Amino acid sequence: MVAPAVLIILAFSIYPLLFSLWVAFVNYDFQIPGHAFVGLQNFQEIVDDPLAWSSLGLTIALSITVVAIEFVLGLALALAMVKTFRGRGIVMSILIIPLFISPVIVGQSWALFLQRPFGPADYLLSQLIGRQVEISWVGEVPWVYFSIVLADVWQWTPFMFVILLAGLAAIPPHLYEAAELDGVGAIQTFLYVTLPQLAPVILLGVTLRLLDAVKLFDVIFMLTGGGPGTSTYTTSFYLYQIGFQQFHLSIATAGSWMFLILLSAVIIALVRRLLNAETA
Amino acid sequence: MERARSSSRTRTVRASVGRALTIGWFVIFVLVPLYWVVITSIKPSSDYLTTPPVWFPAKPTIVHYTAALFSYRGLQGLTNSLIIASVATLLSTCMGTMMAYSLARFNTGGRHLALWVLSQRFLPPVAIVLPIFLLFRTWGLYDTLTGLILAYTFMTLPLSVWMMFAYFQQLPKSLEEAAWVDGLSRWQTFWMVATPLAAPGVAAAAVFVFIAVWTEFFFALILTSRHAFTLPTIFRAFLGFQGAQYGEACALATTSLAPSIVLGMLVQRHLVRGLTLGAIRG
Repeated sequence: MVAPAVLIILAFSIYPLLFSLWVAFVNYDFQIPGHAFVGLQNFQEIVDDPLAWSSLGLTIALSITVVAIEFVLGLALALAMVKTFRGRGIVMSILIIPLFISPVIVGQSWALFLQRPFGPADYLLSQLIGRQVEISWVGEVPWVYFSIVLADVWQWTPFMFVILLAGLAAIPPHLYEAAELDGVGAIQTFLYVTLPQLAPVILLGVTLRLLDAVKLFDVIFMLTGGGPGTSTYTTSFYLYQIGFQQFHLSIATAGSWMFLILLSAVIIALVRRLLNAETA
Repeated sequence: MERARSSSRTRTVRASVGRALTIGWFVIFVLVPLYWVVITSIKPSSDYLTTPPVWFPAKPTIVHYTAALFSYRGLQGLTNSLIIASVATLLSTCMGTMMAYSLARFNTGGRHLALWVLSQRFLPPVAIVLPIFLLFRTWGLYDTLTGLILAYTFMTLPLSVWMMFAYFQQLPKSLEEAAWVDGLSRWQTFWMVATPLAAPGVAAAAVFVFIAVWTEFFFALILTSRHAFTLPTIFRAFLGFQGAQYGEACALATTSLAPSIVLGMLVQRHLVRGLTLGAIRG
């Protein structure tokens, strides 16, 4: 019964990965015939490329920023939504919409919303602060970073919110009743009852999000195209450029192996956690 | 006493106002860019660059939809997306359900097999797609529907396996044990007893897989070009440097996001399970 699934995964994951390990050590180029063994040269190319390092730095900085913002907003939203009220069902349905939209469309929508002269963002902002605003949201540092964070936060805050809401709803009510009987204030209740009870869910949500955030590609592709210059290259976008725009396939493969190895420690830790949650 | 009560009432009022504001702001934040895209898709081109922007077009039009779908190969992208997402969903859900059943009931392969399947979900796509791209060119699968269907079946297997794994673990074993006692084989038990019982779970998993495939961009971008391109990959053509066709791009975006939002609403109840691969049972 497991055979078909295992075969597919073998064919599309293990075999390509082994194949790519070979590609990483040879010179695989459509222009040059033959695949000469070049040892570690492809890896060396990546290590020597300052853009590889700056894109990795940006990937890490962006991931931490967006996940932190999404966590805070998601938690605030979950706390606000945990009690029932009239119209909660409709509000809930609206709040989760971003989860079902292609990241490309999210990138495109924000590009259209922010970009001058077409988007209404500058106009709205001008009205709000009563002064003419002309900001190039997708073409100028530092605003591009703000735009990327905005698009990501828009799409993924609902993810944190949904998971944290499930966690909040699972906290036994008697803990709150006991806290109230003891005359504990709202802030103390949050710090000493809610947060510790929520900790495993928070850890799960944050790790899941971080692992996806480091792959950031689609929004960059649509919103900034890596620009201006190379200032919004993330690791995925960088490897895509090397591999599919410059066609240095072997170098890109070597780079993606290094990226994979960097990530694997986190992946293994998370997978073990998920498995334990399941069998607990 | 009186003062204490009124101050606690003020606090409750303040708390509900705070809650309402938090929720209200976020609802607006979610809806505004979406509204802009949908409204742009039905705006006449003359309404594009006005100040102040046009929020309610006086003369809505469907010209961008017809142009995007019929003049710019949007229809082919839509058809491709529908075929690819449907077939990949079918394959992934079938294989995933079978595997999940086996893992949940017979502990096939122990923890290692389950762990290995799950870890596939977290591989960075860029590491997988480079070699797949090269292999597809050799195998003749590059830029074909078959190639993309197989790639997406692989991509979504961890999702369907783990959602169904969690579902089967929740189902009582007793009916299946009765079936074995009555002499049904494992296959018969699976098809005639377990799968019908798990039907709601299978349906939910299928919807999540469909949405995942429908919205995927990176694989489609790299593994297709002129023929097997999907809906998410054709926006670029409309947003070129010379004269971006905002209306057409927005019409396609609306065409793409509407079905997945509707489907998403249908599986709202299973959302937490879908997002955490079964780790939290919402």
